[in-house]
Amino acid sequence: MNKKEIIKKLQPLVALVVMVLVLSLMSDKFLTFANGRNILLQISVNLCLSLGMTLVILTGGIDLSVGAILAFAGAFAAGLLKNGIILGRFGLAVQFTVFGAVLAGILAGFVLGWFNGLVITKFRLPPFVATLGMLSIARGLTMLWTGGFPVTDLGTKFDFMGAGFFLGIPMAVWISAALVAFFYLVTRRTILGRYIYAVGGSEKAAAFSGINVDRIKLWVYALTGALAAIGGLIVTARLDAADPKAGEGYELDSIAAVVIGGTSLSGGEGSILGTVLGCLIIGVLNNGLFLLDISPFWQQVIKGFVILAAVAADKFGTRRQSYS
Amino acid sequence: MRAVTWIIAIAVAAAVCGLFPPFHLVPLKTAAAEQKAKAFDTTRFAGTFWTNRLLPSLDKAVPARELLSAIQNDPPAAKKKYSRSLGLDENYYYFLRGDGKVVSISDDEISLAISKDSTNAEVALETGLVFGDALRDGTGLLNVNDYPNSQDFNDLSAALDRIVETNVIPQLRGQAKPGETISFAGCAEVDDESTDLKPLKVIPIQTLTP
Repeated sequence: MNKKEIIKKLQPLVALVVMVLVLSLMSDKFLTFANGRNILLQISVNLCLSLGMTLVILTGGIDLSVGAILAFAGAFAAGLLKNGIILGRFGLAVQFTVFGAVLAGILAGFVLGWFNGLVITKFRLPPFVATLGMLSIARGLTMLWTGGFPVTDLGTKFDFMGAGFFLGIPMAVWISAALVAFFYLVTRRTILGRYIYAVGGSEKAAAFSGINVDRIKLWVYALTGALAAIGGLIVTARLDAADPKAGEGYELDSIAAVVIGGTSLSGGEGSILGTVLGCLIIGVLNNGLFLLDISPFWQQVIKGFVILAAVAADKFGTRRQSYS
Repeated sequence: MRAVTWIIAIAVAAAVCGLFPPFHLVPLKTAAAEQKAKAFDTTRFAGTFWTNRLLPSLDKAVPARELLSAIQNDPPAAKKKYSRSLGLDENYYYFLRGDGKVVSISDDEISLAISKDSTNAEVALETGLVFGDALRDGTGLLNVNDYPNSQDFNDLSAALDRIVETNVIPQLRGQAKPGETISFAGCAEVDDESTDLKPLKVIPIQTLTP
Protein backbone atom coordinates (compact mmCIF):
# COMPACT_ATOMS: atom_id res chain seq x y z
CA MET A 1 0.00 0.00 0.00
CA ASN A 2 1.59 3.29 -1.05
CA LYS A 3 1.42 6.61 0.79
CA LYS A 4 -1.50 7.96 -1.25
CA GLU A 5 -3.57 4.85 -0.62
CA ILE A 6 -2.92 5.09 3.11
CA ILE A 7 -3.99 8.75 3.10
CA LYS A 8 -7.12 7.83 1.16
CA LYS A 9 -7.99 5.08 3.63
CA LEU A 10 -7.47 7.39 6.58
CA GLN A 11 -9.68 10.17 5.15
CA PRO A 12 -12.91 9.08 6.90
CA LEU A 13 -11.13 8.58 10.21
CA VAL A 14 -9.51 12.02 10.01
CA ALA A 15 -12.88 13.56 9.10
CA LEU A 16 -14.52 11.86 12.10
CA VAL A 17 -11.80 12.97 14.53
CA VAL A 18 -12.00 16.56 13.25
CA MET A 19 -15.79 16.57 13.59
CA VAL A 20 -15.63 15.19 17.13
CA LEU A 21 -13.05 17.79 18.14
CA VAL A 22 -14.98 20.69 16.62
CA LEU A 23 -18.32 19.60 18.10
CA SER A 24 -16.74 19.02 21.52
CA LEU A 25 -15.58 22.63 21.50
CA MET A 26 -18.94 23.94 20.29
CA SER A 27 -21.23 21.99 22.63
CA ASP A 28 -20.52 20.89 26.19
CA LYS A 29 -23.18 18.18 25.86
CA PHE A 30 -21.46 16.47 22.94
CA LEU A 31 -18.56 14.63 24.55
CA THR A 32 -20.48 12.77 27.25
CA PHE A 33 -21.06 9.05 27.82
CA ALA A 34 -24.83 9.42 27.47
CA ASN A 35 -24.49 11.26 24.16
CA GLY A 36 -21.96 8.76 22.85
CA ARG A 37 -24.33 5.93 23.70
CA ASN A 38 -27.13 7.86 22.05
CA ILE A 39 -25.13 8.28 18.83
CA LEU A 40 -24.35 4.55 18.76
CA LEU A 41 -28.03 3.77 19.26
CA GLN A 42 -29.03 6.21 16.52
CA ILE A 43 -26.64 4.68 13.99
CA SER A 44 -27.37 1.04 14.81
CA VAL A 45 -30.17 0.72 12.22
CA ASN A 46 -28.22 2.55 9.52
CA LEU A 47 -25.28 0.30 10.30
CA CYS A 48 -27.37 -2.82 9.60
CA LEU A 49 -28.47 -1.40 6.26
CA SER A 50 -25.02 -0.07 5.40
CA LEU A 51 -23.28 -3.41 5.99
CA GLY A 52 -25.49 -4.95 3.33
CA MET A 53 -25.11 -1.92 1.10
CA THR A 54 -21.32 -2.23 1.39
CA LEU A 55 -21.44 -5.79 0.10
CA VAL A 56 -23.72 -4.75 -2.77
CA ILE A 57 -21.59 -1.75 -3.73
CA LEU A 58 -18.44 -3.84 -3.48
CA THR A 59 -19.89 -6.05 -6.23
CA GLY A 60 -20.53 -2.92 -8.29
CA GLY A 61 -24.27 -2.84 -7.64
CA ILE A 62 -26.69 -0.71 -5.67
CA ASP A 63 -29.78 -1.53 -3.60
CA LEU A 64 -32.52 1.08 -3.35
CA SER A 65 -34.97 -1.29 -1.67
CA VAL A 66 -33.37 -1.64 1.77
CA GLY A 67 -35.65 0.96 3.42
CA ALA A 68 -38.76 -0.70 2.02
CA ILE A 69 -37.55 -4.18 2.99
CA LEU A 70 -36.85 -2.82 6.48
CA ALA A 71 -40.46 -1.66 6.74
CA PHE A 72 -41.88 -4.92 5.39
CA ALA A 73 -39.78 -7.18 7.60
CA GLY A 74 -40.65 -5.17 10.72
CA ALA A 75 -44.36 -5.16 9.88
CA PHE A 76 -44.32 -8.84 8.90
CA ALA A 77 -42.71 -9.92 12.18
CA ALA A 78 -44.97 -7.62 14.21
CA GLY A 79 -48.08 -8.89 12.44
CA LEU A 80 -47.14 -12.52 13.02
CA LEU A 81 -46.35 -11.86 16.67
CA LYS A 82 -49.54 -9.90 17.30
CA ASN A 83 -52.08 -11.78 15.20
CA GLY A 84 -50.45 -15.05 14.12
CA ILE A 85 -51.84 -16.88 11.11
CA ILE A 86 -55.35 -18.27 10.95
CA LEU A 87 -55.70 -21.65 9.25
CA GLY A 88 -59.49 -21.55 9.01
CA ARG A 89 -59.81 -24.75 7.02
CA PHE A 90 -58.07 -26.73 9.75
CA GLY A 91 -59.67 -24.83 12.64
CA LEU A 92 -56.21 -23.86 13.85
CA ALA A 93 -54.30 -20.69 14.60
CA VAL A 94 -50.51 -20.41 14.35
CA GLN A 95 -49.29 -18.29 17.25
CA PHE A 96 -45.73 -17.08 16.82
CA THR A 97 -43.22 -16.75 19.63
CA VAL A 98 -40.84 -13.78 19.67
CA PHE A 99 -38.10 -16.06 18.33
CA GLY A 100 -40.39 -17.27 15.54
CA ALA A 101 -41.50 -13.77 14.58
CA VAL A 102 -37.90 -12.50 14.50
CA LEU A 103 -36.84 -15.49 12.40
CA ALA A 104 -39.76 -14.97 10.01
CA GLY A 105 -38.93 -11.27 9.66
CA ILE A 106 -35.29 -11.99 8.79
CA LEU A 107 -36.37 -14.74 6.39
CA ALA A 108 -38.81 -12.34 4.71
CA GLY A 109 -35.99 -9.84 4.19
CA PHE A 110 -33.72 -12.60 2.89
CA VAL A 111 -36.34 -13.75 0.38
CA LEU A 112 -37.01 -10.21 -0.92
CA GLY A 113 -33.26 -9.62 -1.22
CA TRP A 114 -32.84 -12.95 -2.96
CA PHE A 115 -35.58 -11.92 -5.42
CA ASN A 116 -33.56 -8.75 -6.13
CA GLY A 117 -30.54 -10.89 -6.87
CA LEU A 118 -32.57 -13.22 -9.05
CA VAL A 119 -33.93 -10.37 -11.18
CA ILE A 120 -30.46 -8.84 -11.53
CA THR A 121 -28.65 -12.07 -12.41
CA LYS A 122 -31.25 -13.98 -14.42
CA PHE A 123 -33.06 -11.15 -16.21
CA ARG A 124 -29.95 -8.96 -16.43
CA LEU A 125 -31.77 -5.88 -15.19
CA PRO A 126 -29.55 -3.08 -13.89
CA PRO A 127 -29.46 -3.20 -10.05
CA PHE A 128 -30.78 0.38 -9.91
CA VAL A 129 -33.95 -0.59 -11.79
CA ALA A 130 -34.43 -4.00 -10.18
CA THR A 131 -34.17 -2.67 -6.64
CA LEU A 132 -36.28 0.38 -7.48
CA GLY A 133 -38.98 -2.09 -8.49
CA MET A 134 -38.51 -3.98 -5.22
CA LEU A 135 -38.79 -0.70 -3.31
CA SER A 136 -42.30 -0.30 -4.69
CA ILE A 137 -43.19 -3.98 -4.26
CA ALA A 138 -42.06 -4.10 -0.63
CA ARG A 139 -43.85 -0.83 0.21
CA GLY A 140 -47.03 -2.19 -1.37
CA LEU A 141 -46.72 -5.53 0.46
CA THR A 142 -46.24 -3.66 3.73
CA MET A 143 -49.43 -1.67 3.17
CA LEU A 144 -51.32 -4.84 2.21
CA TRP A 145 -50.06 -6.70 5.27
CA THR A 146 -50.84 -3.91 7.74
CA GLY A 147 -53.84 -2.33 6.02
CA GLY A 148 -51.91 0.93 6.29
CA PHE A 149 -52.12 0.98 10.10
CA PRO A 150 -49.26 0.58 12.57
CA VAL A 151 -49.06 -2.75 14.40
CA THR A 152 -48.60 -1.82 18.05
CA ASP A 153 -48.25 -3.28 21.53
CA LEU A 154 -45.76 -6.05 20.76
CA GLY A 155 -44.72 -6.90 24.29
CA THR A 156 -41.64 -6.28 26.38
CA LYS A 157 -39.79 -9.42 25.21
CA PHE A 158 -39.85 -8.26 21.61
CA ASP A 159 -39.17 -4.64 22.54
CA PHE A 160 -36.01 -5.66 24.43
CA MET A 161 -34.24 -6.03 21.10
CA GLY A 162 -34.65 -2.32 20.36
CA ALA A 163 -35.21 -0.69 23.73
CA GLY A 164 -33.39 -2.99 26.15
CA PHE A 165 -29.90 -2.64 27.63
CA PHE A 166 -27.15 -5.17 28.30
CA LEU A 167 -24.18 -4.09 30.46
CA GLY A 168 -25.37 -0.49 30.15
CA ILE A 169 -25.25 -0.57 26.34
CA PRO A 170 -28.42 -0.68 24.20
CA MET A 171 -29.19 -4.11 22.72
CA ALA A 172 -29.46 -2.51 19.27
CA VAL A 173 -25.80 -1.49 19.58
CA TRP A 174 -24.77 -5.02 20.60
CA ILE A 175 -26.65 -6.48 17.64
CA SER A 176 -25.11 -4.10 15.13
CA ALA A 177 -21.65 -4.59 16.67
CA ALA A 178 -22.00 -8.38 16.33
CA LEU A 179 -23.03 -7.94 12.69
CA VAL A 180 -20.06 -5.66 12.04
CA ALA A 181 -17.69 -8.28 13.51
CA PHE A 182 -19.34 -11.07 11.51
CA PHE A 183 -19.27 -9.25 8.18
CA TYR A 184 -15.76 -7.96 8.80
CA LEU A 185 -14.68 -11.59 9.06
CA VAL A 186 -16.77 -12.56 6.04
CA THR A 187 -15.18 -9.91 3.85
CA ARG A 188 -11.63 -10.39 5.17
CA ARG A 189 -11.30 -14.07 5.99
CA THR A 190 -13.70 -16.06 3.80
CA ILE A 191 -13.82 -17.18 0.21
CA LEU A 192 -17.15 -15.41 -0.21
CA GLY A 193 -15.49 -12.15 0.85
CA ARG A 194 -12.66 -12.55 -1.62
CA TYR A 195 -15.12 -13.39 -4.38
CA ILE A 196 -17.20 -10.29 -3.58
CA TYR A 197 -14.14 -8.08 -4.10
CA ALA A 198 -13.21 -10.01 -7.22
CA VAL A 199 -16.66 -9.63 -8.77
CA GLY A 200 -16.66 -5.89 -8.02
CA GLY A 201 -13.11 -5.45 -9.35
CA SER A 202 -13.85 -7.05 -12.69
CA GLU A 203 -16.84 -9.26 -13.35
CA LYS A 204 -15.31 -10.69 -16.51
CA ALA A 205 -11.99 -11.53 -14.85
CA ALA A 206 -13.86 -13.12 -11.93
CA ALA A 207 -15.93 -15.24 -14.31
CA PHE A 208 -12.84 -16.27 -16.28
CA SER A 209 -11.15 -17.37 -13.10
CA GLY A 210 -14.03 -19.72 -12.33
CA ILE A 211 -16.08 -17.68 -9.89
CA ASN A 212 -19.82 -18.15 -10.20
CA VAL A 213 -20.58 -14.43 -10.41
CA ASP A 214 -24.36 -14.83 -10.42
CA ARG A 215 -24.34 -16.96 -7.29
CA ILE A 216 -22.14 -14.43 -5.45
CA LYS A 217 -24.49 -11.60 -6.42
CA LEU A 218 -27.53 -13.64 -5.42
CA TRP A 219 -26.02 -14.23 -1.98
CA VAL A 220 -25.00 -10.60 -1.60
CA TYR A 221 -28.49 -9.25 -2.36
CA ALA A 222 -30.14 -11.89 -0.16
CA LEU A 223 -27.81 -11.05 2.76
CA THR A 224 -28.51 -7.35 2.22
CA GLY A 225 -32.23 -8.08 2.46
CA ALA A 226 -31.69 -10.05 5.67
CA LEU A 227 -29.61 -7.21 7.15
CA ALA A 228 -32.31 -4.69 6.21
CA ALA A 229 -34.80 -6.97 7.95
CA ILE A 230 -32.69 -6.94 11.14
CA GLY A 231 -32.70 -3.15 10.92
CA GLY A 232 -36.49 -3.29 10.56
CA LEU A 233 -36.82 -5.49 13.63
CA ILE A 234 -34.72 -3.06 15.68
CA VAL A 235 -36.81 -0.07 14.53
CA THR A 236 -40.04 -1.92 15.30
CA ALA A 237 -38.82 -3.04 18.71
CA ARG A 238 -37.62 0.46 19.61
CA LEU A 239 -40.98 2.00 18.79
CA ASP A 240 -43.03 -0.94 20.08
CA ALA A 241 -44.85 -0.53 16.79
CA ALA A 242 -44.37 -1.47 13.16
CA ASP A 243 -44.94 1.67 11.14
CA PRO A 244 -45.80 0.85 7.52
CA LYS A 245 -43.97 4.01 6.47
CA ALA A 246 -40.81 3.21 8.42
CA GLY A 247 -37.48 3.39 6.63
CA GLU A 248 -38.42 5.99 4.03
CA GLY A 249 -35.19 7.52 2.75
CA TYR A 250 -33.02 5.14 4.78
CA GLU A 251 -31.50 3.74 1.59
CA LEU A 252 -29.97 7.15 0.89
CA ASP A 253 -28.46 7.36 4.37
CA SER A 254 -26.95 3.91 3.97
CA ILE A 255 -25.51 4.68 0.52
CA ALA A 256 -24.12 7.90 1.97
CA ALA A 257 -22.49 6.04 4.87
CA VAL A 258 -20.89 3.51 2.51
CA VAL A 259 -19.58 6.19 0.16
CA ILE A 260 -18.32 8.42 2.97
CA GLY A 261 -16.61 5.35 4.39
CA GLY A 262 -14.49 5.11 1.26
CA THR A 263 -16.19 2.30 -0.65
CA SER A 264 -15.95 2.99 -4.35
CA LEU A 265 -19.27 3.19 -6.18
CA SER A 266 -17.66 1.39 -9.11
CA GLY A 267 -17.08 -1.66 -6.90
CA GLY A 268 -14.17 -3.81 -5.79
CA GLU A 269 -12.78 -1.32 -3.29
CA GLY A 270 -13.85 -0.51 0.24
CA SER A 271 -14.24 -2.08 3.65
CA ILE A 272 -16.68 -2.82 6.44
CA LEU A 273 -14.64 -0.69 8.86
CA GLY A 274 -14.84 2.21 6.42
CA THR A 275 -18.62 1.85 6.42
CA VAL A 276 -18.66 1.86 10.23
CA LEU A 277 -16.73 5.14 10.08
CA GLY A 278 -19.18 6.45 7.46
CA CYS A 279 -22.13 5.62 9.74
CA LEU A 280 -20.35 7.27 12.67
CA ILE A 281 -19.68 10.39 10.61
CA ILE A 282 -23.35 10.65 9.63
CA GLY A 283 -24.45 9.91 13.19
CA VAL A 284 -22.06 12.46 14.71
CA LEU A 285 -23.06 15.01 12.09
CA ASN A 286 -26.80 14.51 12.78
CA ASN A 287 -26.26 14.61 16.52
CA GLY A 288 -23.94 17.62 16.42
CA LEU A 289 -26.21 19.66 14.17
CA PHE A 290 -29.11 18.85 16.48
CA LEU A 291 -27.15 19.86 19.60
CA LEU A 292 -26.13 23.09 17.90
CA ASP A 293 -29.84 23.75 17.28
CA ILE A 294 -29.43 23.96 13.52
CA SER A 295 -32.69 23.78 11.56
CA PRO A 296 -33.52 20.31 10.17
CA PHE A 297 -33.76 21.89 6.71
CA TRP A 298 -30.17 23.10 6.95
CA GLN A 299 -29.15 19.72 8.33
CA GLN A 300 -30.31 18.14 5.05
CA VAL A 301 -28.33 20.66 3.03
CA ILE A 302 -25.16 20.15 5.09
CA LYS A 303 -25.47 16.35 4.89
CA GLY A 304 -25.82 16.62 1.12
CA PHE A 305 -22.62 18.64 0.86
CA VAL A 306 -20.74 16.16 3.07
CA ILE A 307 -21.78 13.30 0.76
CA LEU A 308 -20.75 15.31 -2.31
CA ALA A 309 -17.41 16.10 -0.70
CA ALA A 310 -16.85 12.41 0.13
CA VAL A 311 -17.61 11.27 -3.42
CA ALA A 312 -15.53 14.08 -4.90
CA ALA A 313 -12.59 13.12 -2.67
CA ASP A 314 -12.96 9.50 -3.77
CA LYS A 315 -13.07 10.43 -7.48
CA PHE A 316 -10.19 12.87 -7.12
CA GLY A 317 -8.08 10.26 -5.35
CA THR A 318 -8.88 7.59 -7.96
CA ARG A 319 -8.06 9.94 -10.85
CA ARG A 320 -4.71 10.95 -9.33
CA GLN A 321 -3.85 7.31 -8.73
CA SER A 322 -4.65 6.35 -12.33
CA TYR A 323 -2.60 9.29 -13.68
CA SER A 324 0.38 8.39 -11.53
CA MET B 1 -19.31 -33.49 1.78
CA ARG B 2 -21.98 -31.02 0.71
CA ALA B 3 -24.77 -33.40 1.75
CA VAL B 4 -23.15 -33.81 5.18
CA THR B 5 -23.04 -30.02 5.59
CA TRP B 6 -26.72 -29.77 4.75
CA ILE B 7 -27.64 -32.59 7.12
CA ILE B 8 -25.70 -30.95 9.95
CA ALA B 9 -27.32 -27.56 9.20
CA ILE B 10 -30.81 -29.06 9.21
CA ALA B 11 -30.09 -30.98 12.42
CA VAL B 12 -28.84 -27.82 14.15
CA ALA B 13 -31.87 -25.86 12.93
CA ALA B 14 -34.22 -28.60 14.16
CA ALA B 15 -32.49 -28.67 17.55
CA VAL B 16 -32.74 -24.87 17.91
CA CYS B 17 -36.43 -24.93 16.94
CA GLY B 18 -36.97 -27.76 19.42
CA LEU B 19 -35.40 -25.74 22.21
CA PHE B 20 -37.02 -22.44 21.19
CA PRO B 21 -40.24 -23.26 19.32
CA PRO B 22 -40.90 -20.54 16.72
CA PHE B 23 -44.66 -21.04 16.89
CA HIS B 24 -47.49 -22.98 18.54
CA LEU B 25 -50.57 -24.43 16.92
CA VAL B 26 -53.74 -23.79 18.91
CA PRO B 27 -57.42 -24.43 18.14
CA LEU B 28 -59.08 -21.41 16.56
CA LYS B 29 -61.62 -21.10 19.38
CA THR B 30 -58.92 -21.02 22.04
CA ALA B 31 -56.97 -18.41 20.05
CA ALA B 32 -60.08 -16.24 19.65
CA ALA B 33 -60.83 -16.48 23.37
CA GLU B 34 -57.25 -15.55 24.25
CA GLN B 35 -57.36 -12.61 21.84
CA LYS B 36 -60.63 -11.40 23.34
CA ALA B 37 -59.29 -11.73 26.87
CA LYS B 38 -56.20 -9.73 25.91
CA ALA B 39 -58.21 -6.97 24.24
CA PHE B 40 -58.95 -3.89 26.32
CA ASP B 41 -62.72 -3.44 26.84
CA THR B 42 -62.87 0.34 27.01
CA THR B 43 -66.58 0.62 27.77
CA ARG B 44 -66.42 -1.87 30.63
CA PHE B 45 -63.26 -0.28 32.03
CA ALA B 46 -64.85 3.19 31.86
CA GLY B 47 -67.99 1.95 33.66
CA THR B 48 -65.98 0.32 36.45
CA PHE B 49 -63.73 3.35 36.75
CA TRP B 50 -66.74 5.66 36.96
CA THR B 51 -68.42 3.72 39.76
CA ASN B 52 -65.47 2.48 41.78
CA ARG B 53 -62.93 5.27 41.46
CA LEU B 54 -64.35 8.48 40.05
CA LEU B 55 -67.55 8.91 42.11
CA PRO B 56 -65.81 8.09 45.44
CA SER B 57 -63.13 10.69 44.59
CA LEU B 58 -65.41 13.67 44.02
CA ASP B 59 -64.59 15.10 47.45
CA LYS B 60 -61.01 15.57 46.22
CA ALA B 61 -62.20 18.16 43.71
CA VAL B 62 -61.34 21.77 44.48
CA PRO B 63 -64.25 23.90 45.79
CA ALA B 64 -65.65 25.95 42.91
CA ARG B 65 -65.76 29.23 44.86
CA GLU B 66 -62.11 28.90 45.85
CA LEU B 67 -61.11 28.09 42.27
CA LEU B 68 -63.14 30.88 40.64
CA SER B 69 -61.80 33.39 43.12
CA ALA B 70 -58.24 32.24 42.39
CA ILE B 71 -58.81 32.44 38.63
CA GLN B 72 -60.24 35.94 38.98
CA ASN B 73 -57.32 37.17 41.10
CA ASP B 74 -54.38 35.54 39.35
CA PRO B 75 -55.06 33.09 36.47
CA PRO B 76 -51.44 31.82 36.12
CA ALA B 77 -51.24 31.18 39.87
CA ALA B 78 -54.62 29.41 39.78
CA LYS B 79 -53.40 27.29 36.89
CA LYS B 80 -50.24 26.41 38.75
CA LYS B 81 -52.03 25.54 41.98
CA TYR B 82 -55.20 23.79 40.82
CA SER B 83 -54.83 22.55 37.23
CA ARG B 84 -53.68 19.24 35.83
CA SER B 85 -52.09 18.58 32.45
CA LEU B 86 -50.66 15.58 30.64
CA GLY B 87 -48.13 17.87 28.98
CA LEU B 88 -49.00 16.56 25.53
CA ASP B 89 -50.43 19.90 24.46
CA GLU B 90 -51.26 23.29 25.94
CA ASN B 91 -54.59 22.16 27.38
CA TYR B 92 -55.04 21.97 31.12
CA TYR B 93 -57.88 20.85 33.33
CA TYR B 94 -59.63 21.74 36.57
CA PHE B 95 -61.48 19.20 38.72
CA LEU B 96 -64.04 21.14 40.78
CA ARG B 97 -67.18 20.79 42.88
CA GLY B 98 -69.63 23.19 44.39
CA ASP B 99 -73.17 24.46 44.23
CA GLY B 100 -74.88 27.33 42.54
CA LYS B 101 -78.17 28.87 41.59
CA VAL B 102 -79.47 28.22 38.07
CA VAL B 103 -79.52 31.53 36.21
CA SER B 104 -80.22 30.34 32.70
CA ILE B 105 -80.93 27.19 30.71
CA SER B 106 -80.11 26.70 27.03
CA ASP B 107 -79.88 23.69 24.73
CA ASP B 108 -76.16 23.28 25.34
CA GLU B 109 -75.61 24.42 28.90
CA ILE B 110 -77.09 25.25 32.27
CA SER B 111 -75.52 28.34 33.80
CA LEU B 112 -75.01 28.71 37.53
CA ALA B 113 -74.21 31.66 39.76
CA ILE B 114 -71.75 30.42 42.35
CA SER B 115 -70.81 33.44 44.44
CA LYS B 116 -73.12 34.62 47.17
CA ASP B 117 -75.75 37.11 45.93
CA SER B 118 -74.39 36.87 42.39
CA THR B 119 -76.76 36.70 39.45
CA ASN B 120 -74.01 36.29 36.82
CA ALA B 121 -73.29 32.96 35.12
CA GLU B 122 -69.99 31.86 36.62
CA VAL B 123 -70.12 28.15 35.82
CA ALA B 124 -71.79 26.58 32.79
CA LEU B 125 -72.61 22.89 33.10
CA GLU B 126 -72.42 21.47 29.59
CA THR B 127 -75.55 19.61 28.49
CA GLY B 128 -74.90 19.18 24.75
CA LEU B 129 -72.64 16.67 23.05
CA VAL B 130 -69.56 16.02 25.15
CA PHE B 131 -66.08 16.03 23.60
CA GLY B 132 -62.51 16.13 24.84
CA ASP B 133 -60.28 14.60 27.46
CA ALA B 134 -61.38 16.62 30.51
CA LEU B 135 -62.86 13.66 32.39
CA ARG B 136 -59.93 11.38 31.64
CA ASP B 137 -57.16 13.86 32.33
CA GLY B 138 -58.76 16.32 34.72
CA THR B 139 -59.15 14.17 37.81
CA GLY B 140 -55.59 12.87 38.05
CA LEU B 141 -56.92 9.35 38.63
CA LEU B 142 -55.74 7.91 35.31
CA ASN B 143 -52.12 7.77 34.23
CA VAL B 144 -51.21 7.60 30.55
CA ASN B 145 -48.21 5.38 31.39
CA ASP B 146 -50.52 2.64 32.64
CA TYR B 147 -51.82 2.12 29.11
CA PRO B 148 -49.27 0.60 26.75
CA ASN B 149 -51.60 1.22 23.82
CA SER B 150 -52.30 4.90 23.30
CA GLN B 151 -55.37 4.06 21.21
CA ASP B 152 -56.98 2.43 24.27
CA PHE B 153 -56.19 5.53 26.32
CA ASN B 154 -57.78 7.74 23.66
CA ASP B 155 -60.87 5.53 23.50
CA LEU B 156 -61.24 5.89 27.24
CA SER B 157 -61.98 9.61 26.87
CA ALA B 158 -64.78 8.88 24.44
CA ALA B 159 -66.23 6.17 26.71
CA LEU B 160 -66.29 8.52 29.73
CA ASP B 161 -67.89 11.26 27.62
CA ARG B 162 -70.62 8.80 26.57
CA ILE B 163 -71.36 8.00 30.24
CA VAL B 164 -71.90 11.72 30.87
CA GLU B 165 -74.17 12.01 27.84
CA THR B 166 -76.29 8.99 28.74
CA ASN B 167 -76.38 9.06 32.57
CA VAL B 168 -75.60 12.53 33.85
CA ILE B 169 -76.97 15.05 31.37
CA PRO B 170 -80.55 13.67 31.04
CA GLN B 171 -80.87 13.68 34.84
CA LEU B 172 -79.47 17.23 35.06
CA ARG B 173 -81.88 18.48 32.41
CA GLY B 174 -84.74 16.99 34.40
CA GLN B 175 -83.60 18.61 37.65
CA ALA B 176 -82.65 22.09 36.49
CA LYS B 177 -85.12 24.89 36.89
CA PRO B 178 -84.28 28.63 36.99
CA GLY B 179 -83.65 29.78 40.56
CA GLU B 180 -83.02 26.30 41.92
CA THR B 181 -79.74 25.35 43.59
CA ILE B 182 -77.72 22.53 42.08
CA SER B 183 -74.70 20.79 43.61
CA PHE B 184 -72.24 19.58 41.05
CA ALA B 185 -68.85 18.05 40.48
CA GLY B 186 -67.09 18.00 37.14
CA CYS B 187 -64.10 18.84 35.05
CA ALA B 188 -63.27 21.92 33.00
CA GLU B 189 -60.90 22.01 30.06
CA VAL B 190 -59.01 25.19 29.25
CA ASP B 191 -57.45 25.35 25.78
CA ASP B 192 -54.93 28.07 26.53
CA GLU B 193 -54.36 31.09 28.71
CA SER B 194 -56.43 33.35 26.48
CA THR B 195 -59.65 31.31 26.87
CA ASP B 196 -62.53 33.28 28.37
CA LEU B 197 -63.28 31.57 31.67
CA LYS B 198 -66.47 33.50 32.39
CA PRO B 199 -68.36 31.29 32.71
CA LEU B 200 -66.09 28.31 33.34
CA LYS B 201 -67.46 25.49 31.17
CA VAL B 202 -67.71 22.30 33.20
CA ILE B 203 -68.50 18.77 32.07
CA PRO B 204 -70.66 17.42 34.88
CA ILE B 205 -69.82 14.13 36.59
CA GLN B 206 -72.49 14.29 39.24
CA THR B 207 -75.32 16.75 39.89
CA LEU B 208 -77.76 16.85 42.84
CA THR B 209 -80.68 19.01 43.77
CA PRO B 210 -81.58 19.60 47.40
